[in-house]
Parts: sequence; C-alpha cells; structure tokens
Amino acid sequence: MGEAAERFVVEGLVEQTSAGPRLIGSRCRGCGTFYFPQKASCPNPACTDKAPVAALLPDQGTLYSYTLQRYQPPPLFRMDGWEPYLLGLVDLGEGLQVMGMLTGVKEQEVRIGMTLRLVTEPLYCDDDGTAVLTYKFTPAGTAL
Amino acid sequence: MRPVYALGAGAHPWGKWPEKPQLQLALEAMSAALADAGIVWAEVQGLVAASSRFEGGMGWGLHANEVVQAVAEQGIPCINVGGACAAGAIALQTAHALVASGQYDVVAALGAERMPKGFIPRPPGSADDRSDNDFLRWVAMGATNPAYWAIEARRRQHEHGTSERTLAQASALMRRNAGGNRLARYRDPISEEDVLASPMVADPLHLLQICPVSDGAAAVILGSEDYVRRSGKAAVRVAGCAVGSGQFGDPARRIPTISSTVRDGVAHTSEVTGAVRAAFELAGIGPEDVDLLEMADNSAWHILAWPELFGFYEPGQGDWMLEQGKLAIGGELAINPSGGFLSFGEATTAQALLQVSEVLWQLRGEAHGHQVPEAKVGMTAVLGLGANGGSVILTR
Repeated sequence: MGEAAERFVVEGLVEQTSAGPRLIGSRCRGCGTFYFPQKASCPNPACTDKAPVAALLPDQGTLYSYTLQRYQPPPLFRMDGWEPYLLGLVDLGEGLQVMGMLTGVKEQEVRIGMTLRLVTEPLYCDDDGTAVLTYKFTPAGTAL
Repeated sequence: MRPVYALGAGAHPWGKWPEKPQLQLALEAMSAALADAGIVWAEVQGLVAASSRFEGGMGWGLHANEVVQAVAEQGIPCINVGGACAAGAIALQTAHALVASGQYDVVAALGAERMPKGFIPRPPGSADDRSDNDFLRWVAMGATNPAYWAIEARRRQHEHGTSERTLAQASALMRRNAGGNRLARYRDPISEEDVLASPMVADPLHLLQICPVSDGAAAVILGSEDYVRRSGKAAVRVAGCAVGSGQFGDPARRIPTISSTVRDGVAHTSEVTGAVRAAFELAGIGPEDVDLLEMADNSAWHILAWPELFGFYEPGQGDWMLEQGKLAIGGELAINPSGGFLSFGEATTAQALLQVSEVLWQLRGEAHGHQVPEAKVGMTAVLGLGANGGSVILTR
C-alpha cells in the first residue's frame, strides 16, 4: 500500500513548503499590494504598473471576526461527517484579510484577536479514495 | 439637467406566485404605476427595465422589450440594465437621465422578479477554478451569504457591544412596520423573543434576522414638470439620484469574495456610501434633512450599521437609536417604514424600485397603515453583486 492520494479542492490556492502550507496569492510589482487568490491584474486605481506576480502569503494572522455556520451549504460544498463549523476572517497583515474554516478550536474558546496559523485538512474523500484538502486556520501553538 | 418628478408608482404584492409568470407580475406593476400617475401606455416615451438572470427577458435580459411587445408596440426605446440586486436603482438612474436631458418627457423604470427556490444557482458557464470567487467560497469553505453578514455582525458586537436583544429588536421593528403594508409578504408581528427563538443560522444571526427571497414587481414613472402639473398629484421631485461601484481598500465582507484588501480611510460598503454621498450632493441636502430611509436590510445587522455608514449618526449609535424608538415610524429617522427586505423577502431586481415607490407614497401621505407623519424628504439605498450601489432622494 502506497501513501494515500491527496489533492486540494482547487488548484493554485495552497503550496506545501518544507515549513508547512502557505496560501498562494499575488503581490503587485507596481504598488506592492497583496491579494488572495492570485489576481489577473491590480485593481488599485493609483497603480500604473498593474503587474501582479505569485507570492506566498504569511502563514499566521489574527482573528478579525467569525461565525458558526449552522446549516449545510448547497452541494458544491462537500464535507464528510457534516457538522456545523466555524468560519473566520483572518487578518494576515499586509492589509489582507482572508476567510477560511477554523479547526482545533471550539466556539466557546474563539476570541477575536487570537493568533491563528494556516493548516490543511481533508474535507472529504473522493469516490476513488483521494483525500480532498482545504486550507483552515487553527490556534497558533496547537499541534495538528 | 432639468428637474425630474416621480409621476406615479405601482407594485405587485411580494410573495410566492407560482401561477403568475414574471411577465405577468411586470404588466400588473406597470398598470398600477400608470394608473397612479394618471396616464396611459400611449404617453410612455421610454421603458427602462432591470435585467434578471432568473426568468423572462428572452435569455438576454430583454425585460423591457418583452413588456412592450406584450402591451404597447409603439416604437419607444427599450433599455435593459444589469446590476443584480441594485439593478432597479440603475434602471431608475437611467430613466432619470433620459428625462433630465430633455430628450423624453415620460419614462418608466421597471423591475419584476420571480426567484428560484432554495439557493441561487451559479450562472451557466462559470469556471470551476480559482478565478471564480463564487466557486471558491463554496468548495473551499461553504461560505453562505448569511455567514458574510454574521461575520460583520459579530465584529460589530466586538467593537460596539451590540447585544443579541438589540439585533432581535431590529427584526421586530421591521415586522411592526410591515403590519400596515398590504404589499409586504410577512405582516404578522413578531417579538424579540420570537426572533431569538427562531433557529440560529450563522451566529449571531437567527432565521428571522435574515431576508428570504420572494417574487414581486415594482415600477416608477418619471416625468417632466409639465407632466406632474397636468397629473394634479403632489409634485414629488427626484432631488438626487446616483449609482456607484466599490472603492479599492473597502473593508466590507463583499459576497462572494474570500478575501479583502483593506486600506485605512476607505469607506465600508463604499459602493453604497458613495452613491448616498453623491445623491446628497445632487440634492443639496444632508442626513439631518431626511425623514425616512428605505434601505436594503439583508440582515438585522444592516439596520444598525448602514445608517451609520451614511452619516446619519456616529458608528455604534444605531443600537441606542433603535432601543430608544428613534428609528420607528414617528421617530427621528424612520427606517424602512415599508417593513424592509426582512418583511418583503428579496425579489432582487425589483427591490430598489419598490423602495422608491414606498418613498413616493410616503411623501404624498398615501402610505396608509404605515405612514411616516409629515414626511417631506425620503431616501433609498441598495447594494448589488459586483459592488453596485444606488441611492435616490425624493422631496416634496
């Protein structure tokens, strides 16, 4: 038996580095603005270069706000063993806020301002047994 | 620009109307608006319709063409405008420009919608990759629309200490206002306890704090000064009318994106606040002059936050204004005397024209059962997908 196959829900969102996963965004060479996911151009009206290039984003941030998604989203969303989950808005610095699921933290423990780090986790298994991963945020210092 | 007046308005009641096609809703709203304006189809010189992606329009959003081909083939310009949930405001803006320019004397703006059941499906031809935000938000995290509003509401609780009870009070007020409005779909009164006892959808928002979807149609007829004189009705003027799009750096959680690039000093929900500011400038008035505000309350959070964003009062003060009854009919600033989206359910492209219709009837003193006393100045504000915003000010 070889290692179980894995893939991400969408290509080009996450890069697995030796130091852990990182989100792949863009940084404009002209005005320095960061974006997520990657952008085809730069919507900053003051930017004249409009030259975004792929860039890895910070893998830690602080929780800006959150909610508990209580009902099952429509079928494009897939999750084995459905249960309500936390969705957070995470400030990564560089003027960039990113939404994502939270893991390794209970609703009663969530605090706006807490430090979170990026992880990847399987959402579901494909029919052929491939584990399909998404990115999530978990309290910094949590082993996962 | 020459002055433009609201000659009349009409609407089909909001609800679920499985037996009536979208075109039928449109025709009934137009008939009601013509009767209200005291004119006939032969006098209409142009029709601007909000394009819908759900029903009607021959698959190309040709909703105005469909209407005139059904009821009045008289060679008039048919203009169809897109703007998602703000399309009605863009239709009104376009009709206004056609009359203000002097090219036409009577132009109608129309929005008629039958919404699909359940979740709104993605449009055909969307890419299943990272270039499509509406794909990403579902597959990567299942971010429903209420989750976006809930994240705003939770942040407000953190910043301003907004209580669950105050958020519930916002829903109860909308339902109380709707009680006297025959066009609203949900008219039974609800208490704060009822709101808090309804199922939690996305914390802190319960089911009764989130707008459902409905079918409905509304039309507004604009005309020149000569026409309003001839009608014998109170002269209600379109004093300000503006549409806008989003600003770079806007901190709002914009559906369906999964990130925000935030810059200091940029207004929240800038597509709407920008349109509101432009409408104020055109009208030459400010928030202190407004008697009633019809705004898009997709959730209870919007009722608290939006008037603050528009400069009606300081950030965080909305809780106190609501608790003190200052946002009720008869209060300092009546918010959604119609009952709002929470009591109507959103019939997307028709909603902004229902807002303008409501303001017209309020200023004429004809909002029977939910009349704002001595209303002289009314304003609307609406938001649509693609960072579209629109705002209209009527005065008498």
